[in-house]
Amino acid sequence: MTHNSLSADLLEQLIKAATKASTTREAIAALTELNTAEAVVWLITNEATARAQCAPRDLAELLDVVVKAGLAGRAGTRAGDLAKLVARYADLAHADTLATVANSLPAVLRNEELVGAVHKTLEREPRHAGLLRVALDHALRKKEMFEAHRLLTRLGRADDSQATLHFIWRKRSVLKPTDRPPVRIALMSSFTIDPLVHYLDLECRAIELEPEIYVTPFNSWAQEIIAETSGLRKFNPEIAFLSVSIDDLVGDLGGLISGDQLEEAGEAAVDRILVAAKQFAEWSDAALVVHSLLSVHREPLGILADRGKPGRAAWLERLNARLADELQKLPRAYVLDMTDVLLRRKGGALDNPKMRHMAAMRLCGPVVGDVARAYTHYIAPIKGLTRKCVVLDLDNTLWGGIVGEDGPHGIRLGGTSPGSEYQEFQRYLLSLTDRGFLLALISKNNPDDALEVIRSHEGMILREDAFSALRINWRPKPENMIGIAEELNIGVDSLIFLDDNPHERELMRQVLPDVLTPDLPADPSLYKATVEALPQLQKLAITEEDRTRTQMYQAKRQREQTRVSAGSLEDYLKSLDITVTIGQVDEASLPRVHQLFQRTNQFNLTTRRYAIADLEAIAGDRGCRLYTLRARDRFGDHGLVATALVRSEADTWRVDSFLMSCRVIGYGVETALLATVGEDARAAGAEKLIGEYIETAKNAPARDFYSRHGFSDLGTEDGVTQWVASLTDANQTLPAWIRREVA
Amino acid sequence: MAPEDVVSRVFGVDRGRVTDATSNTTLAEWDSMGHVNLILELEATYGLSLSPDDTLTMTNVEAIKRVLQSRGAAW
Repeated sequence: MTHNSLSADLLEQLIKAATKASTTREAIAALTELNTAEAVVWLITNEATARAQCAPRDLAELLDVVVKAGLAGRAGTRAGDLAKLVARYADLAHADTLATVANSLPAVLRNEELVGAVHKTLEREPRHAGLLRVALDHALRKKEMFEAHRLLTRLGRADDSQATLHFIWRKRSVLKPTDRPPVRIALMSSFTIDPLVHYLDLECRAIELEPEIYVTPFNSWAQEIIAETSGLRKFNPEIAFLSVSIDDLVGDLGGLISGDQLEEAGEAAVDRILVAAKQFAEWSDAALVVHSLLSVHREPLGILADRGKPGRAAWLERLNARLADELQKLPRAYVLDMTDVLLRRKGGALDNPKMRHMAAMRLCGPVVGDVARAYTHYIAPIKGLTRKCVVLDLDNTLWGGIVGEDGPHGIRLGGTSPGSEYQEFQRYLLSLTDRGFLLALISKNNPDDALEVIRSHEGMILREDAFSALRINWRPKPENMIGIAEELNIGVDSLIFLDDNPHERELMRQVLPDVLTPDLPADPSLYKATVEALPQLQKLAITEEDRTRTQMYQAKRQREQTRVSAGSLEDYLKSLDITVTIGQVDEASLPRVHQLFQRTNQFNLTTRRYAIADLEAIAGDRGCRLYTLRARDRFGDHGLVATALVRSEADTWRVDSFLMSCRVIGYGVETALLATVGEDARAAGAEKLIGEYIETAKNAPARDFYSRHGFSDLGTEDGVTQWVASLTDANQTLPAWIRREVA
Repeated sequence: MAPEDVVSRVFGVDRGRVTDATSNTTLAEWDSMGHVNLILELEATYGLSLSPDDTLTMTNVEAIKRVLQSRGAAW
């Protein structure tokens, strides 16, 4: 008699014998009690019977019981059999059951079948931490490094406990780094900040950076800033965060302190931070972000606080106001408002008193993830990750319901819920245009339906003039996305796509992975918070161009319409009345020039990303000229749209960088700038003008710049092509349709 | 979840490698930061608050089990 039929017999006997066992399910349960090993084998060999006779949910429960009994070591159950069992029933087994079995086996003993079942189940439950760990072990064993990185990031999202984040960080430290842009971050603190390293590492990777994080030794933040040979100076960060607790600087806040003492100690604490910040700015060009001050101690007088004399809260507010005022005077210092972080925190209490005492940890647990996410709001713009345009869906994204079905009066949009959620979201989106972001629309709708709402629904905040491009049709959204990128003359990697429909999001991610497509929550009241949390919507400064960008693109749309009615291209350009103002960079224009250097990809001859400190040095260098060009026409002011960095050598002027905003491509303003550079060089006695060109994946529009201005190719070395033009014959002249003013 | 499971998860070592004798001297991952994380995870898993004295003695699995049992935790 085979093992198989023995078990089947046994099962049948059990069904008959056990008075309560009237179903197969109960019989298997009874068998498990009696002989777990038999039950496991029976379930493996009689899969069809088991599936036919038990509801999937019952079978899942049973598997869990069998597995737990098996792992408890009953009656010689073999681990291999349990693995086979859960793999066989992976489609219906609880994810926990599968994870429990897999984790009970050493990584080397998990076979392909089991790992395959884990991956299948992860499709069903993408955030199951236990299964993610199994998949990770497998990827590490197979040396699939990118897969391992990806799984580690997913695990951090699935389980944000401090222990798991530490585990993830340790695992990463043995992996090869990714080829993503590196970022050097320094953490300086008056307390144990180690968990923040682990959380920040994850958040930097989530925005596709490869972080390198330096932590100043325990409580030596001030010494590290001052000492000329410190590890901090050697590390030379691009951005530094200073988290000093007022509780570490004013030692006895837990007790009663007289008002005068409190004032004095508080001011002294702020002085210490400010001195350090100023010293830091003296030797470092890095951005410095300082935590606002918080105390874990409550008002010792309890609810009597603020009766008759200023309490702790008012005292801290004053200190923070002074801190912010003084830091503002430094060129690259920012205050991170900790109350703002705490207001939005997802991860529990900030203060864990036990860990504060045991490990000098003032930030503990998942809330550290909130702090790390706040940090990325500074890191992203510094690394040039800021996007340019937010592309929005309409139905269920900007209003509730579907206009094509519910009608313009049936959609939810107004001052009360349901509907006020969408209005709040629209107000926030409108505020983005004040910070220089563009908005665009892609909607699958009949244009008349959608436009009627946009133009005349009284609840609508975003009217037609808020959008720089519209695609209301039934085409696939990725196709419309490319159309928008072309119309606005920006790359798809400058776009963010917001759509309530997960399928549209998935399609966009697959077809255009460079578009940032974040998940939107199902609840519209969380839309605003979700989008606000994107680091790619942060800017370090707002320029005049930012404030008026939407109007500029609108004027561009009008120009395009003129173009259709004008005859030849030159007639069209003449009809625009283009005036350029060319000058040298000054203090006021430097931030915009820096922005152009950071963000221009297409019409950029060398794509050298100078930091603001580099540009400051260049502006002060007598051997260099940093040109600026402003342009305006009869439809409006383009603002500062082009810049050129020219280095003068004996008889040669060398154009190190030449870049122009893509929104003025095609008007000939680059020719006006080059002509001016040529004239200045000639006036200074130079004989030759040399231009450099470095090809990138994106700067094709600039490739023929020097050749079409009469330069000759001197050859390419290390990726740099040199072009030369003699200045004796004036071959760079101003286009006939451009009027030039000198600043 | 047994204390061995917590230790295995916190330090990322095979469950089968964790025995009563596993301690902060046998596991490289069990450093001071790891110990802090272990305490946090044990507290969260068993829903209790460990005293500073407890945390000092819980440097091996056998001691962890003893302390947890004395606090009425079961697994």
